[in-house]
Amino acid sequence: MKEDKFEIQAVDFISGSMTEDEARRFEKFLDENSQYREKFNDLQDVWGMMEEIDSPKPSEKMDEAFFEMLSSEMDKERSKRPKNGLPNWLSIVFKPQLAYGIFLLALGLGIGYVLAPTAETGPTEILVADNETEEVRQKLVLTLLEQPSANQRLQGVSEANKFENADEIVIKALLQTLNSDSNVNVRLAAIESLTNYVDNPMVRQGLVQSIPNQESPLLQITLANLMVALQEKASIEPFKQLLKEKQLDTTVKKRIEKSIQSII
Amino acid sequence: MHNLTDNVLMIKVKEGDLDKLGLLYERHKRRLFGFFYHMGNNPSVSEDLVQNVFVRILKYRKSYTGEGSFTAWMFSMARNVNYDHHKKVAKDGISREISPEDAHAGSEDSLNEQMDHQGNKVLLNRALGLLADDKREVLLLSKYRELKFHEIAKILGCTEGAAKVRVHRALKDLKTIFLQLETT
Repeated sequence: MKEDKFEIQAVDFISGSMTEDEARRFEKFLDENSQYREKFNDLQDVWGMMEEIDSPKPSEKMDEAFFEMLSSEMDKERSKRPKNGLPNWLSIVFKPQLAYGIFLLALGLGIGYVLAPTAETGPTEILVADNETEEVRQKLVLTLLEQPSANQRLQGVSEANKFENADEIVIKALLQTLNSDSNVNVRLAAIESLTNYVDNPMVRQGLVQSIPNQESPLLQITLANLMVALQEKASIEPFKQLLKEKQLDTTVKKRIEKSIQSII
Repeated sequence: MHNLTDNVLMIKVKEGDLDKLGLLYERHKRRLFGFFYHMGNNPSVSEDLVQNVFVRILKYRKSYTGEGSFTAWMFSMARNVNYDHHKKVAKDGISREISPEDAHAGSEDSLNEQMDHQGNKVLLNRALGLLADDKREVLLLSKYRELKFHEIAKILGCTEGAAKVRVHRALKDLKTIFLQLETT
């Protein structure tokens, strides 16, 4: 064994840093080499003596000085902190209250999002409500048109104007008004109201059929103008019948003749 | 308290819990004091140097990584503190310390009368004082069982094998000096 290796192993052995196997092997080596055994024994002696080396105890002054130094250092550390604005600012941001606030806001948004689809039932509800008001309005129109007061009947016709799509019953009631109402104004209003539904063949037919029934020049001219606007050829025959009547106003006569010409 | 290892305590100090340094001080003050004392400083200088080590630990606490043992880190600081102190003394040209032999002899006289009866101990202390500084240092470090040789090697800045060889030779020298003292 080389000197260096022996020195290292001897130190390992006395300091207890060897494994059991290594220690056994080293002891065997010492047993076989008496000169190394001597050297080793000397070394172990000194090492053992080293254990006895002691030093006087430090005085209490050392403790005092240390703790004084430590506490002044801690004070310095504490006084440094307020100067440092960032940690304070951060501590405000990370306060639990704020976290709760954000959490509750998120929760609220979440619940709102989940409940939102129920709001989509709105349009159908409006539709249902619309249907209901249509029904009520229909009844109102029909009732008003039967009132003895011309004023109320006018109101009924104007109420009928509010329908987006008047049904058959209302149209029939309006045509009935047009043909038989005693008041000219009500009849005029009925024509006006019916012009909203001229796309409906029943309305056009009703208007044409009502031509011979009209006695008021005002209505006759209004109908003549309307027929020209609609270019309704079916109206020519009723107008011709009307022309045969003797009491017909001359202005109306001229007007109807002109209309027939323009329709043809 | 002992569940808290030195490393854990030092990490806490690093994070700003300076209070924990008190515990580390209590654990290591005797050892550090002994180290400085045997490195040839008189008791009062040794106390100052122990203080300096902890001042440095506080100053450089941010550089503590927690790798390796706290004791090794502490002793590398202690070694620097001792080195700086001796350099300063040499520069000032004033010998504020007593030479190791005198220090030991003096302190034994004043602090512990009993020591006179234990001749071997006194002789050994004197022999240690006569040993070269670097050899004395490596012996003192290896005396603390907590320090592994790879840690001692790191403190001294050499390989593990070299540290062991140094210990071996220092022990041999110590024995020689001791025997010389014994025969005179």
